[in-house]
Amino acid sequence: MFADIMKYKELLYFLVHKEVRIRYRNSLFGFLWTLLEPIGLMLIYTIVFGVILDGAGKNHLEAYPVFILIGLIPWTFFNNTIRRGTRALSGNSSLIKKVYFPREIFPITILLANLVNFVPAFLLVLVVGIFTPNLHLQFAQLLWLPGVIILQCLFTLACTFLVAVLNVYYRDVEFIVNLLLRGWMYLCPIIYPISRVMETKEIQEFTWLYFFNPMAIIISGYHGIFYPEEGLNHIPPSMIIYVIILTFFLLGVFWLIFKRLNRRVGEVI
Amino acid sequence: MEAIVVENLTKHFRKAYDKTLKGYFISLAKRENRYEEFVALHNVSFSVKKGESYAIIGKNGAGKSTLFKVLSGIIAPDQGHVQMNGKVAPLIELGAGLSRDLTGAENIRLNCAIFGLSRARIREVYDSIVEFSELEDFINTPVKFYSSGMKSRLGFSIAIHVDAEIILIDEVLAVGDKDFKKKCYAKMEELRNEGKTLVVVSHSLKPLRTICDRALLLEKGEVTDIGSIDEILDKYEQEKPKKKKKKEV
Repeated sequence: MFADIMKYKELLYFLVHKEVRIRYRNSLFGFLWTLLEPIGLMLIYTIVFGVILDGAGKNHLEAYPVFILIGLIPWTFFNNTIRRGTRALSGNSSLIKKVYFPREIFPITILLANLVNFVPAFLLVLVVGIFTPNLHLQFAQLLWLPGVIILQCLFTLACTFLVAVLNVYYRDVEFIVNLLLRGWMYLCPIIYPISRVMETKEIQEFTWLYFFNPMAIIISGYHGIFYPEEGLNHIPPSMIIYVIILTFFLLGVFWLIFKRLNRRVGEVI
Repeated sequence: MEAIVVENLTKHFRKAYDKTLKGYFISLAKRENRYEEFVALHNVSFSVKKGESYAIIGKNGAGKSTLFKVLSGIIAPDQGHVQMNGKVAPLIELGAGLSRDLTGAENIRLNCAIFGLSRARIREVYDSIVEFSELEDFINTPVKFYSSGMKSRLGFSIAIHVDAEIILIDEVLAVGDKDFKKKCYAKMEELRNEGKTLVVVSHSLKPLRTICDRALLLEKGEVTDIGSIDEILDKYEQEKPKKKKKKEV
Protein backbone atom coordinates (compact mmCIF):
# COMPACT_ATOMS: atom_id res chain seq x y z
CA MET A 1 0.00 0.00 0.00
CA PHE A 2 2.81 2.36 0.92
CA ALA A 3 4.80 1.26 -2.11
CA ASP A 4 1.89 2.36 -4.27
CA ILE A 5 2.05 5.83 -2.78
CA MET A 6 5.82 6.02 -3.00
CA LYS A 7 5.46 5.74 -6.76
CA TYR A 8 3.84 9.16 -6.61
CA LYS A 9 6.48 10.88 -4.55
CA GLU A 10 7.06 13.47 -7.24
CA LEU A 11 3.35 14.32 -7.20
CA LEU A 12 3.39 14.41 -3.42
CA TYR A 13 6.33 16.78 -3.47
CA PHE A 14 4.60 19.04 -5.97
CA LEU A 15 1.32 19.14 -4.05
CA VAL A 16 3.00 19.76 -0.69
CA HIS A 17 5.06 22.53 -2.21
CA LYS A 18 1.94 24.09 -3.72
CA GLU A 19 -0.01 23.75 -0.46
CA VAL A 20 2.72 25.42 1.59
CA ARG A 21 3.14 28.21 -0.92
CA ILE A 22 -0.49 29.11 -1.45
CA ARG A 23 -1.44 29.04 2.23
CA TYR A 24 0.12 32.40 2.98
CA ARG A 25 -0.29 33.84 -0.48
CA ASN A 26 -1.20 37.55 -0.39
CA SER A 27 -0.29 37.80 3.27
CA LEU A 28 2.22 40.29 4.55
CA PHE A 29 3.95 38.04 7.07
CA GLY A 30 3.88 34.87 5.00
CA PHE A 31 5.53 31.92 6.67
CA LEU A 32 5.76 33.87 9.94
CA TRP A 33 2.07 33.19 10.51
CA THR A 34 3.02 29.67 11.55
CA LEU A 35 4.56 31.30 14.60
CA LEU A 36 2.37 34.36 14.98
CA GLU A 37 -0.82 32.31 15.26
CA PRO A 38 0.29 30.25 18.29
CA ILE A 39 2.04 33.26 19.82
CA GLY A 40 -1.18 35.25 19.64
CA LEU A 41 -3.09 32.39 21.22
CA MET A 42 -0.35 32.03 23.82
CA LEU A 43 -0.79 35.69 24.80
CA ILE A 44 -4.55 35.24 25.13
CA TYR A 45 -4.22 32.12 27.26
CA THR A 46 -1.46 33.61 29.37
CA ILE A 47 -3.60 36.64 30.20
CA VAL A 48 -6.82 34.70 30.80
CA PHE A 49 -5.59 31.53 32.46
CA GLY A 50 -2.20 32.67 33.71
CA VAL A 51 -2.95 36.12 35.09
CA ILE A 52 -6.71 36.32 35.63
CA LEU A 53 -7.23 32.75 36.78
CA ASP A 54 -3.73 32.44 38.20
CA GLY A 55 -3.06 29.11 36.46
CA ALA A 56 0.69 29.43 36.77
CA GLY A 57 0.76 30.01 40.54
CA LYS A 58 -1.74 27.28 41.34
CA ASN A 59 0.09 24.72 39.26
CA HIS A 60 3.60 25.76 40.32
CA LEU A 61 4.70 26.16 36.71
CA GLU A 62 7.83 28.04 35.73
CA ALA A 63 7.58 30.21 32.63
CA TYR A 64 3.89 29.65 32.00
CA PRO A 65 3.94 31.27 28.50
CA VAL A 66 6.63 28.81 27.38
CA PHE A 67 4.62 25.94 28.84
CA ILE A 68 1.59 27.00 26.80
CA LEU A 69 3.66 27.35 23.62
CA ILE A 70 5.15 23.87 23.94
CA GLY A 71 1.71 22.32 24.05
CA LEU A 72 0.03 24.74 21.70
CA ILE A 73 2.33 24.33 18.71
CA PRO A 74 1.85 20.55 18.40
CA TRP A 75 -1.86 21.10 18.98
CA THR A 76 -1.99 23.71 16.20
CA PHE A 77 -0.33 21.13 13.93
CA PHE A 78 -3.04 18.59 14.78
CA ASN A 79 -5.85 21.13 14.62
CA ASN A 80 -4.86 22.68 11.29
CA THR A 81 -4.21 19.34 9.61
CA ILE A 82 -7.66 18.07 10.51
CA ARG A 83 -9.45 21.27 9.64
CA ARG A 84 -7.78 21.53 6.27
CA GLY A 85 -7.98 17.78 5.87
CA THR A 86 -11.77 17.91 5.94
CA ARG A 87 -11.57 19.68 2.61
CA ALA A 88 -8.72 17.57 1.27
CA LEU A 89 -11.01 15.72 -1.12
CA SER A 90 -13.99 18.04 -1.43
CA GLY A 91 -11.74 20.99 -2.26
CA ASN A 92 -10.01 19.13 -5.08
CA SER A 93 -13.10 18.03 -6.96
CA SER A 94 -11.86 19.30 -10.33
CA LEU A 95 -8.84 17.04 -10.14
CA ILE A 96 -10.66 14.05 -8.69
CA LYS A 97 -13.37 14.13 -11.34
CA LYS A 98 -10.93 14.02 -14.21
CA VAL A 99 -7.92 11.88 -13.49
CA TYR A 100 -7.32 8.95 -11.24
CA PHE A 101 -4.47 8.47 -8.83
CA PRO A 102 -4.52 7.14 -5.27
CA ARG A 103 -6.70 9.60 -3.41
CA GLU A 104 -4.83 8.94 -0.19
CA ILE A 105 -2.38 11.43 -1.67
CA PHE A 106 -4.65 14.35 -0.71
CA PRO A 107 -4.81 13.77 3.07
CA ILE A 108 -1.11 12.86 3.11
CA THR A 109 -0.34 16.12 1.31
CA ILE A 110 -2.19 18.12 3.97
CA LEU A 111 -0.34 16.30 6.73
CA LEU A 112 3.09 16.86 5.18
CA ALA A 113 2.40 20.52 4.40
CA ASN A 114 1.46 21.11 8.03
CA LEU A 115 4.45 19.12 9.22
CA VAL A 116 6.67 21.42 7.19
CA ASN A 117 5.16 24.33 9.13
CA PHE A 118 5.29 22.58 12.47
CA VAL A 119 8.89 21.42 12.65
CA PRO A 120 10.65 24.80 12.35
CA ALA A 121 8.12 26.41 14.70
CA PHE A 122 8.71 23.75 17.33
CA LEU A 123 12.49 23.96 16.96
CA LEU A 124 12.21 27.68 17.63
CA VAL A 125 10.25 27.00 20.82
CA LEU A 126 12.97 24.57 21.87
CA VAL A 127 15.52 27.36 21.46
CA VAL A 128 13.30 29.74 23.46
CA GLY A 129 12.97 27.11 26.19
CA ILE A 130 16.72 26.56 26.38
CA PHE A 131 17.29 30.28 26.96
CA THR A 132 14.48 30.67 29.48
CA PRO A 133 15.84 30.85 33.05
CA ASN A 134 14.69 28.09 35.46
CA LEU A 135 13.88 25.71 32.59
CA HIS A 136 16.21 22.78 32.08
CA LEU A 137 16.35 20.71 28.96
CA GLN A 138 15.74 17.02 29.75
CA PHE A 139 17.96 15.12 27.34
CA ALA A 140 16.41 11.76 28.12
CA GLN A 141 13.00 13.16 27.19
CA LEU A 142 14.37 14.76 24.04
CA LEU A 143 15.21 11.27 22.76
CA TRP A 144 11.51 10.44 22.78
CA LEU A 145 10.68 13.44 20.62
CA PRO A 146 11.01 11.82 17.15
CA GLY A 147 8.82 8.96 18.33
CA VAL A 148 6.24 11.36 19.72
CA ILE A 149 6.15 13.33 16.48
CA ILE A 150 5.78 10.18 14.37
CA LEU A 151 3.00 8.93 16.63
CA GLN A 152 1.21 12.25 16.38
CA CYS A 153 1.57 12.23 12.58
CA LEU A 154 0.08 8.75 12.30
CA PHE A 155 -2.78 9.57 14.63
CA THR A 156 -3.47 12.82 12.76
CA LEU A 157 -3.35 11.02 9.42
CA ALA A 158 -5.87 8.46 10.66
CA CYS A 159 -8.30 11.20 11.69
CA THR A 160 -7.72 13.09 8.44
CA PHE A 161 -8.54 10.03 6.33
CA LEU A 162 -11.87 9.72 8.10
CA VAL A 163 -12.98 13.35 7.98
CA ALA A 164 -11.74 13.92 4.42
CA VAL A 165 -13.81 11.10 2.95
CA LEU A 166 -16.88 11.69 5.13
CA ASN A 167 -16.97 15.35 4.17
CA VAL A 168 -17.45 14.40 0.53
CA TYR A 169 -20.75 12.73 1.41
CA TYR A 170 -21.95 15.08 4.14
CA ARG A 171 -20.65 18.61 4.41
CA ASP A 172 -21.92 18.66 8.01
CA VAL A 173 -18.62 17.02 8.94
CA GLU A 174 -16.89 20.36 8.57
CA PHE A 175 -19.05 21.97 11.24
CA ILE A 176 -18.88 19.01 13.58
CA VAL A 177 -15.11 18.85 13.26
CA ASN A 178 -14.66 22.52 14.11
CA LEU A 179 -16.74 22.16 17.24
CA LEU A 180 -15.13 18.90 18.29
CA LEU A 181 -11.64 20.29 17.89
CA ARG A 182 -12.41 23.21 20.15
CA GLY A 183 -13.60 20.93 22.93
CA TRP A 184 -10.79 18.49 22.30
CA MET A 185 -8.22 21.23 22.89
CA TYR A 186 -9.47 21.79 26.44
CA LEU A 187 -9.25 18.05 27.06
CA CYS A 188 -5.52 18.20 26.34
CA PRO A 189 -2.91 19.46 28.78
CA ILE A 190 -2.18 22.77 27.04
CA ILE A 191 -3.33 25.52 29.36
CA TYR A 192 -2.99 23.30 32.43
CA PRO A 193 -0.42 20.63 33.25
CA ILE A 194 -1.29 16.96 33.07
CA SER A 195 -0.10 16.50 36.67
CA ARG A 196 -3.03 18.61 37.79
CA VAL A 197 -5.45 16.06 36.35
CA MET A 198 -3.57 13.25 38.09
CA GLU A 199 -3.17 14.96 41.44
CA THR A 200 -6.27 17.05 42.06
CA LYS A 201 -8.24 14.98 44.58
CA GLU A 202 -11.74 15.86 43.31
CA ILE A 203 -11.13 14.57 39.81
CA GLN A 204 -8.59 11.85 40.49
CA GLU A 205 -11.08 9.03 40.00
CA PHE A 206 -11.75 10.24 36.48
CA THR A 207 -8.10 10.36 35.45
CA TRP A 208 -8.34 7.01 33.64
CA LEU A 209 -11.13 8.49 31.54
CA TYR A 210 -8.98 11.49 30.73
CA PHE A 211 -6.21 9.24 29.48
CA PHE A 212 -8.47 7.78 26.80
CA ASN A 213 -7.63 10.90 24.82
CA PRO A 214 -4.47 9.98 22.93
CA MET A 215 -3.65 13.61 22.21
CA ALA A 216 -3.35 14.30 25.95
CA ILE A 217 -0.57 11.76 26.23
CA ILE A 218 1.10 12.83 23.00
CA ILE A 219 1.20 16.46 24.13
CA SER A 220 2.65 15.56 27.51
CA GLY A 221 5.41 13.89 25.50
CA TYR A 222 6.36 17.36 24.32
CA HIS A 223 6.02 18.92 27.77
CA GLY A 224 8.46 16.47 29.29
CA ILE A 225 11.32 18.08 27.40
CA PHE A 226 11.33 21.04 29.81
CA TYR A 227 8.89 19.99 32.53
CA PRO A 228 10.01 16.63 33.90
CA GLU A 229 6.94 16.45 36.16
CA GLU A 230 4.63 16.62 33.15
CA GLY A 231 6.42 14.17 30.88
CA LEU A 232 5.84 10.62 29.72
CA ASN A 233 7.71 9.08 32.66
CA HIS A 234 4.88 10.18 34.97
CA ILE A 235 2.20 8.60 32.85
CA PRO A 236 1.34 4.93 33.43
CA PRO A 237 3.26 2.88 30.79
CA SER A 238 0.10 0.93 30.02
CA MET A 239 -1.51 4.16 28.81
CA ILE A 240 1.42 4.87 26.49
CA ILE A 241 1.15 1.39 25.01
CA TYR A 242 -2.59 1.96 24.65
CA VAL A 243 -1.97 5.14 22.63
CA ILE A 244 0.44 3.35 20.30
CA ILE A 245 -1.91 0.44 19.72
CA LEU A 246 -4.91 2.74 19.30
CA THR A 247 -3.07 4.86 16.73
CA PHE A 248 -2.22 1.88 14.54
CA PHE A 249 -5.68 0.42 15.00
CA LEU A 250 -7.41 3.65 14.00
CA LEU A 251 -5.05 4.16 11.08
CA GLY A 252 -5.99 0.71 9.79
CA VAL A 253 -9.72 1.10 10.36
CA PHE A 254 -10.03 4.64 9.03
CA TRP A 255 -7.90 3.77 6.02
CA LEU A 256 -10.26 0.89 5.26
CA ILE A 257 -13.26 3.21 5.62
CA PHE A 258 -11.49 5.66 3.34
CA LYS A 259 -10.93 2.97 0.73
CA ARG A 260 -14.49 1.74 0.99
CA LEU A 261 -16.14 5.15 0.69
CA ASN A 262 -13.63 6.25 -1.90
CA ARG A 263 -15.31 4.02 -4.47
CA ARG A 264 -18.19 6.45 -4.90
CA VAL A 265 -16.24 9.65 -4.40
CA GLY A 266 -15.82 10.13 -8.17
CA GLU A 267 -19.62 10.27 -8.55
CA VAL A 268 -20.83 12.24 -5.57
CA ILE A 269 -18.18 14.91 -5.39
CA MET B 1 -2.40 -9.53 -26.02
CA GLU B 2 -5.41 -7.58 -24.81
CA ALA B 3 -4.89 -4.03 -23.60
CA ILE B 4 -8.38 -3.54 -22.20
CA VAL B 5 -10.82 -6.22 -21.14
CA VAL B 6 -14.26 -5.23 -19.97
CA GLU B 7 -16.66 -7.91 -18.82
CA ASN B 8 -20.33 -7.47 -17.97
CA LEU B 9 -19.81 -3.95 -16.75
CA THR B 10 -22.83 -2.41 -15.09
CA LYS B 11 -23.07 1.00 -13.52
CA HIS B 12 -26.05 2.52 -11.77
CA PHE B 13 -26.21 6.08 -10.58
CA ARG B 14 -28.22 7.07 -7.58
CA LYS B 15 -29.89 10.41 -7.69
CA ALA B 16 -30.98 11.37 -4.21
CA TYR B 17 -34.22 13.29 -4.05
CA ASP B 18 -33.44 15.15 -0.87
CA LYS B 19 -30.16 14.86 0.90
CA THR B 20 -31.09 16.52 4.20
CA LEU B 21 -31.93 14.67 7.37
CA LYS B 22 -35.46 16.02 7.24
CA GLY B 23 -35.90 14.69 3.71
CA TYR B 24 -34.46 11.36 4.79
CA PHE B 25 -36.96 10.91 7.59
CA ILE B 26 -39.89 12.08 5.51
CA SER B 27 -39.18 9.56 2.78
CA LEU B 28 -38.52 6.92 5.40
CA ALA B 29 -41.91 7.61 6.96
CA LYS B 30 -43.66 7.60 3.60
CA ARG B 31 -41.81 4.40 2.69
CA GLU B 32 -40.85 5.74 -0.69
CA ASN B 33 -37.55 5.38 -2.46
CA ARG B 34 -34.91 7.68 -1.13
CA TYR B 35 -33.15 7.87 -4.44
CA GLU B 36 -33.86 7.42 -8.09
CA GLU B 37 -31.77 4.80 -9.78
CA PHE B 38 -30.48 5.40 -13.24
CA VAL B 39 -28.77 2.76 -15.32
CA ALA B 40 -25.81 4.35 -17.07
CA LEU B 41 -24.19 1.17 -18.34
CA HIS B 42 -25.75 -2.25 -18.57
CA ASN B 43 -23.82 -5.42 -19.15
CA VAL B 44 -21.12 -3.91 -21.33
CA SER B 45 -18.45 -6.30 -22.54
CA PHE B 46 -15.71 -5.70 -25.03
CA SER B 47 -11.98 -6.00 -25.40
CA VAL B 48 -9.36 -3.92 -27.10
CA LYS B 49 -6.19 -5.50 -28.44
CA LYS B 50 -2.85 -4.01 -27.77
CA GLY B 51 -1.87 -1.50 -30.43
CA GLU B 52 -5.41 -1.22 -31.65
CA SER B 53 -7.36 1.99 -32.11
CA TYR B 54 -10.86 1.71 -30.85
CA ALA B 55 -13.74 4.10 -31.26
CA ILE B 56 -16.73 4.40 -28.99
CA ILE B 57 -19.72 5.83 -30.75
CA GLY B 58 -23.12 6.76 -29.43
CA LYS B 59 -25.57 9.58 -29.00
CA ASN B 60 -25.58 11.96 -26.09
CA GLY B 61 -26.53 10.12 -22.94
CA ALA B 62 -25.63 6.72 -24.35
CA GLY B 63 -23.12 6.22 -21.56
CA LYS B 64 -19.92 7.04 -23.41
CA SER B 65 -18.57 9.38 -20.79
CA THR B 66 -19.48 7.05 -17.96
CA LEU B 67 -17.68 4.24 -19.75
CA PHE B 68 -14.68 6.52 -20.10
CA LYS B 69 -14.67 7.40 -16.45
CA VAL B 70 -14.84 3.74 -15.52
CA LEU B 71 -11.97 2.94 -17.88
CA SER B 72 -9.84 5.70 -16.40
CA GLY B 73 -10.59 4.60 -12.85
CA ILE B 74 -12.47 7.69 -11.64
CA ILE B 75 -15.69 5.75 -11.15
CA ALA B 76 -15.78 2.23 -9.78
CA PRO B 77 -18.14 -0.24 -11.54
CA ASP B 78 -21.09 -1.72 -9.63
CA GLN B 79 -20.78 -5.08 -11.30
CA GLY B 80 -18.44 -6.61 -13.79
CA HIS B 81 -14.79 -6.37 -14.28
CA VAL B 82 -12.42 -3.93 -15.95
CA GLN B 83 -8.86 -4.84 -16.67
CA MET B 84 -6.37 -2.37 -18.06
CA ASN B 85 -3.00 -3.77 -19.04
CA GLY B 86 -0.66 -0.82 -19.08
CA LYS B 87 -0.49 2.76 -17.98
CA VAL B 88 -3.57 4.79 -18.82
CA ALA B 89 -3.65 8.47 -19.73
CA PRO B 90 -7.19 9.77 -19.90
CA LEU B 91 -8.15 12.93 -21.72
CA ILE B 92 -11.64 13.61 -20.54
CA GLU B 93 -13.37 16.83 -21.51
CA LEU B 94 -11.28 19.90 -22.08
CA GLY B 95 -7.83 19.69 -20.61
CA ALA B 96 -8.42 16.88 -18.15
CA GLY B 97 -6.87 17.48 -14.80
CA LEU B 98 -5.73 21.02 -15.40
CA SER B 99 -5.83 23.16 -12.29
CA ARG B 100 -7.27 26.57 -13.00
CA ASP B 101 -5.05 28.54 -10.67
CA LEU B 102 -1.78 27.03 -11.77
CA THR B 103 0.15 28.23 -14.78
CA GLY B 104 0.59 26.16 -17.89
CA ALA B 105 4.12 25.22 -16.84
CA GLU B 106 2.97 24.13 -13.37
CA ASN B 107 0.15 22.15 -14.90
CA ILE B 108 2.59 20.28 -17.09
CA ARG B 109 4.59 19.35 -13.99
CA LEU B 110 1.50 18.46 -11.98
CA ASN B 111 0.02 16.27 -14.68
CA CYS B 112 3.27 14.53 -15.46
CA ALA B 113 3.63 13.82 -11.74
CA ILE B 114 0.07 12.48 -11.60
CA PHE B 115 1.03 9.98 -14.27
CA GLY B 116 3.99 8.92 -12.19
CA LEU B 117 6.86 10.46 -14.16
CA SER B 118 10.10 11.07 -12.30
CA ARG B 119 11.51 14.56 -11.99
CA ALA B 120 14.26 13.83 -14.50
CA ARG B 121 11.75 12.46 -17.00
CA ILE B 122 9.51 15.52 -16.55
CA ARG B 123 12.42 17.78 -17.39
CA GLU B 124 13.05 15.70 -20.50
CA VAL B 125 9.53 15.86 -21.89
CA TYR B 126 8.72 19.41 -20.74
CA ASP B 127 10.11 21.15 -23.80
CA SER B 128 8.45 18.85 -26.27
CA ILE B 129 5.11 19.30 -24.50
CA VAL B 130 5.42 23.08 -24.74
CA GLU B 131 6.50 22.84 -28.32
CA PHE B 132 3.68 20.54 -29.36
CA SER B 133 1.05 22.65 -27.64
CA GLU B 134 2.38 25.83 -29.34
CA LEU B 135 1.84 27.72 -26.07
CA GLU B 136 5.36 29.10 -25.60
CA ASP B 137 4.08 32.64 -25.04
CA PHE B 138 1.43 31.70 -22.49
CA ILE B 139 3.15 28.96 -20.55
CA ASN B 140 3.51 31.15 -17.44
CA THR B 141 -0.09 32.33 -17.51
CA PRO B 142 -2.62 30.69 -15.18
CA VAL B 143 -4.77 28.19 -17.03
CA LYS B 144 -7.96 30.01 -16.05
CA PHE B 145 -7.10 32.68 -18.62
CA TYR B 146 -6.67 30.11 -21.40
CA SER B 147 -9.23 29.73 -24.13
CA SER B 148 -10.86 26.34 -24.51
CA GLY B 149 -8.73 25.67 -27.57
CA MET B 150 -5.55 26.39 -25.65
CA LYS B 151 -6.63 24.14 -22.80
CA SER B 152 -7.33 21.22 -25.08
CA ARG B 153 -4.01 21.76 -26.82
CA LEU B 154 -2.17 21.66 -23.52
CA GLY B 155 -4.18 18.66 -22.32
CA PHE B 156 -3.56 16.70 -25.50
CA SER B 157 0.13 17.55 -25.53
CA ILE B 158 0.54 16.31 -21.96
CA ALA B 159 -1.43 13.12 -22.52
CA ILE B 160 0.70 12.01 -25.45
CA HIS B 161 3.95 12.65 -23.60
CA VAL B 162 3.43 10.75 -20.35
CA ASP B 163 4.59 7.38 -21.69
CA ALA B 164 1.16 5.84 -21.38
CA GLU B 165 0.39 2.61 -23.16
CA ILE B 166 -3.32 3.27 -23.33
CA ILE B 167 -4.60 6.71 -24.24
CA LEU B 168 -8.24 7.60 -23.77
CA ILE B 169 -9.47 10.57 -25.77
CA ASP B 170 -12.94 12.00 -25.27
CA GLU B 171 -14.32 14.72 -27.55
CA VAL B 172 -11.28 16.89 -26.90
CA LEU B 173 -10.44 17.55 -30.47
CA ALA B 174 -13.69 19.30 -31.25
CA VAL B 175 -12.32 22.69 -30.23
CA GLY B 176 -8.81 22.96 -31.63
CA ASP B 177 -8.40 24.80 -34.93
CA LYS B 178 -7.92 23.03 -38.22
CA ASP B 179 -4.14 23.02 -38.17
CA PHE B 180 -3.94 21.70 -34.64
CA LYS B 181 -6.53 19.03 -35.36
CA LYS B 182 -4.48 17.91 -38.31
CA LYS B 183 -1.41 17.78 -36.12
CA CYS B 184 -3.28 15.73 -33.52
CA TYR B 185 -4.53 13.23 -36.04
CA ALA B 186 -1.02 12.88 -37.43
CA LYS B 187 0.25 12.34 -33.89
CA MET B 188 -2.43 9.77 -33.20
CA GLU B 189 -1.40 7.88 -36.32
CA GLU B 190 2.16 8.04 -35.09
CA LEU B 191 1.22 6.73 -31.65
CA ARG B 192 -0.69 3.94 -33.29
CA ASN B 193 2.31 2.98 -35.33
CA GLU B 194 4.36 2.94 -32.15
CA GLY B 195 2.05 0.24 -30.86
CA LYS B 196 0.06 2.28 -28.35
CA THR B 197 -3.57 1.59 -27.73
CA LEU B 198 -6.01 4.40 -28.41
CA VAL B 199 -9.63 4.65 -27.38
CA VAL B 200 -11.45 7.56 -28.95
CA VAL B 201 -14.86 9.07 -28.48
CA SER B 202 -15.64 11.66 -31.09
CA HIS B 203 -18.50 13.26 -32.89
CA SER B 204 -16.48 14.07 -35.94
CA LEU B 205 -16.86 10.72 -37.59
CA LYS B 206 -14.73 11.27 -40.66
CA PRO B 207 -11.28 11.21 -39.04
CA LEU B 208 -12.29 8.14 -37.04
CA ARG B 209 -12.32 6.12 -40.23
CA THR B 210 -8.66 6.74 -40.88
CA ILE B 211 -7.48 6.43 -37.28
CA CYS B 212 -9.53 3.63 -35.77
CA ASP B 213 -9.62 -0.04 -36.55
CA ARG B 214 -12.71 -1.10 -34.69
CA ALA B 215 -15.69 0.54 -33.09
CA LEU B 216 -18.33 -0.08 -30.48
CA LEU B 217 -21.81 1.34 -30.67
CA LEU B 218 -23.48 2.26 -27.41
CA GLU B 219 -27.16 2.93 -27.03
CA LYS B 220 -28.82 3.74 -23.72
CA GLY B 221 -26.03 2.10 -21.79
CA GLU B 222 -25.96 -1.10 -23.79
CA VAL B 223 -23.65 -2.33 -26.49
CA THR B 224 -25.65 -2.68 -29.69
CA ASP B 225 -22.86 -3.47 -32.09
CA ILE B 226 -19.15 -4.17 -32.29
CA GLY B 227 -17.30 -4.41 -35.57
CA SER B 228 -14.86 -2.84 -37.95
CA ILE B 229 -14.92 0.94 -38.00
CA ASP B 230 -16.38 1.26 -41.51
CA GLU B 231 -19.13 -1.21 -40.84
CA ILE B 232 -20.23 0.47 -37.61
CA LEU B 233 -19.98 4.00 -38.94
CA ASP B 234 -22.01 3.10 -42.02
CA LYS B 235 -24.72 1.71 -39.81
CA TYR B 236 -24.60 4.66 -37.47
CA GLU B 237 -24.82 7.16 -40.29
CA GLN B 238 -27.65 5.30 -41.95
CA GLU B 239 -29.57 5.30 -38.75
CA LYS B 240 -29.39 9.05 -38.32
CA PRO B 241 -31.43 10.27 -41.30
CA LYS B 242 -34.13 7.73 -40.52
CA LYS B 243 -34.68 9.22 -37.11
CA LYS B 244 -34.87 12.68 -38.56
CA LYS B 245 -37.56 11.58 -40.94
CA LYS B 246 -39.54 10.10 -38.12
CA LYS B 247 -39.50 13.40 -36.33
CA GLU B 248 -40.72 15.18 -39.44
CA VAL B 249 -43.66 12.83 -39.73
